Amino acid sequence: MKQFAARLFDPLVDGLADIGRTGWFLLGLLAALPRGLTYPRELLRQLWFVGAKSLIIIMISGLFVGMVLSLQLYYTLSIFGGTSALGTVIALSLYRELGPVVTALLFAGRAGTAITAEVGLMRATDQLSAMEMMAVDPLAFVASPRFLAGVIAMPLLVAVFNLMGIFGGHLIGVTWLGIDNGTFWSNMTSNVSVWTDVINGEWKALAFGALISLIAVYQGYTAPPTSEGVANATTRTVVTSSIAILALDFVMTAFLM
Amino acid sequence: MPVMTHASVDSAAAPLVQVRGLTTVLGGKKVFDALDLDIARGRITAIMGPSGTGKTTLLKHITGQMRGADGAVLVDGQDVARLPRESLYALRERIGYLFQNSALLSDYNVFENVAFPLRQHTRLQEDLIRNVVLTKLQAVGLRGAAELMPSELSGGMARRVALARAIVFDPMLILYDEPFVGLDPIALNQVLKLIRTLNRELGITSVLVAHEFAAVREVADHVHLIANGKRVASGTPAELAKGDSPWTAQFFGGALEGPVPFQYPAPPLASAFGFPGVAP
Repeated sequence: MKQFAARLFDPLVDGLADIGRTGWFLLGLLAALPRGLTYPRELLRQLWFVGAKSLIIIMISGLFVGMVLSLQLYYTLSIFGGTSALGTVIALSLYRELGPVVTALLFAGRAGTAITAEVGLMRATDQLSAMEMMAVDPLAFVASPRFLAGVIAMPLLVAVFNLMGIFGGHLIGVTWLGIDNGTFWSNMTSNVSVWTDVINGEWKALAFGALISLIAVYQGYTAPPTSEGVANATTRTVVTSSIAILALDFVMTAFLM
Repeated sequence: MPVMTHASVDSAAAPLVQVRGLTTVLGGKKVFDALDLDIARGRITAIMGPSGTGKTTLLKHITGQMRGADGAVLVDGQDVARLPRESLYALRERIGYLFQNSALLSDYNVFENVAFPLRQHTRLQEDLIRNVVLTKLQAVGLRGAAELMPSELSGGMARRVALARAIVFDPMLILYDEPFVGLDPIALNQVLKLIRTLNRELGITSVLVAHEFAAVREVADHVHLIANGKRVASGTPAELAKGDSPWTAQFFGGALEGPVPFQYPAPPLASAFGFPGVAP
C-alpha cells in the first residue's frame, strides 16, 4: 500500500519540485538579464536562430491553418446562412486563440528543443563550466540572450502566423468558395478590435514566448551531462511546454475575455 | 626567473594553494576526509590517485566551482568558498583551467575561442587582440589553425588551443585536468613540452591531475597521492617511485591488490552463485 502510494505520488512531488526549481532558476535568470543585455551580438544571433529560422515553418503552418479554418467555418456557417461572417470568424479565431497557441506549440517544437539540446550539449561538453572558469557568467552569456530572443520573437512570429492564416482563409473563402471580397474584408475590419482581439493575442504570445524559453533554457541548463540526459531534457521541453502553453492559455483567456 | 606579479611580497614564500581540513560529501559518499595539502608557487605539482578518488573535484574546489562541507581552500591567501561572486570571478581571471575534453566553445573558431576571455574582460583594440591571440597560438604551434572550427581539430590540437586560451591572460596558476589522456606520443610530447615551458619560462604555478606516471615523472616537481579522501603520500616523483608505503607500492608498482581493492565490495562469490549452505 505504501509502495502504491509512493508510486502514485512520487511523480506529483517530483513535478512540483521541478516547478519550484524552475522558479528559482527564473529568479537567477532575471537577475542576470541586465548583464545579458551587455551581449547584444549574442542576442542578435539567438534572434536569428529562434526567430528568423522559424519563419518558414510558421508561415506554411499559418497558411494551412487559415485554409482549413475557411473550409470548416464555411461549412458550419452555411448551415445558418451566415457565410458572410467568414472573414470575421477566421480573424477572431486566429487573433484570439489559434495564432498564439499554434505558433507557441510550433515554436516549442522547433526553437525550444534546439535551445535545450544546444545548452544541454554545452553543459555536457563542459563549455558552461569553461565560461565560469573564464569569469563569464553562463546565465548572462548563454541563458539570458536565448530567453530574451524567445520573448521578442514569439509576438512577431504570431503576427506573421495570423497574417498568413488570414491570407489562407481569404484564398479559400473568396477565391475558391466565391464569397464576396468586399464582404469578407468589411465584416472583418468592423468586428475585429485591435485592442481586445489583436493585442490580447499578442499578450498571450509574449507570455508563451517567455514560458517556452524559460523551460527550454532550464531543461538544457540542468540536463545530466550524458546523451540520454540531453535527449530526455529535449523531450521534457516539448511535453512540459505544450502542457504549460495550453494551461496558461486557459488562464489568460479567462482573464482577458 | 619566476614571475609572481599578483602575489604580495609577504605571501611570496607561502604556498599558492593551501587545502586545510577539506571535507566533501557527494551523493552520500565522503570524497575528502579532512584533506590537507599545499601547492608550492612556481612549481609543477601533480595530483595523482586511483580513479574516482576526487582529483578533478579538488580542482573544482580550488576554482570555487564546489564548496566543501568543512575546511577551507586558500588560493593566494583567499578562502575561495567565502569569496563573493565578483571577487571569485576576479580570482578566476588569474587562473587558467585546462579541461579534460578541452571545452572549446563549439560556435566559435579557434581564433575566437582564444580571444573570448580578452573580448569579455578587456576593451583592447581589435589589432591588439589579434596580436595577443596569434602570439598565444604561435606558442602552442597552431597559428595556422586560427580559422578552423573546434569540430575540425584532433584531440591533441583541441587541447593545445584550450591551453592557448587558458594562458591568454598570463595566469598565476594553471590547472590541468587529465592533460595526457588520449594523446598519441607526438601530441603527448608536445603537451609535456608546453607544460614545462609555461612553468619554467613564465613561472606559472602548475597543478596537473593525471594517471600517467611516466609523463608526470617527466614534468612534475612534486606529487601528492590522494586515496580514501586523504593525502597518503607526497614527494618528488623519484621518491614516490621507490614505493616505500603500501599506497605508493600499489599505485606506482602496479600491483593488482593492495590498499585499493581490485574487487568492488560484494558478498562472497559462493553466495552469489547460490551454493548450498552459504547464506546470501
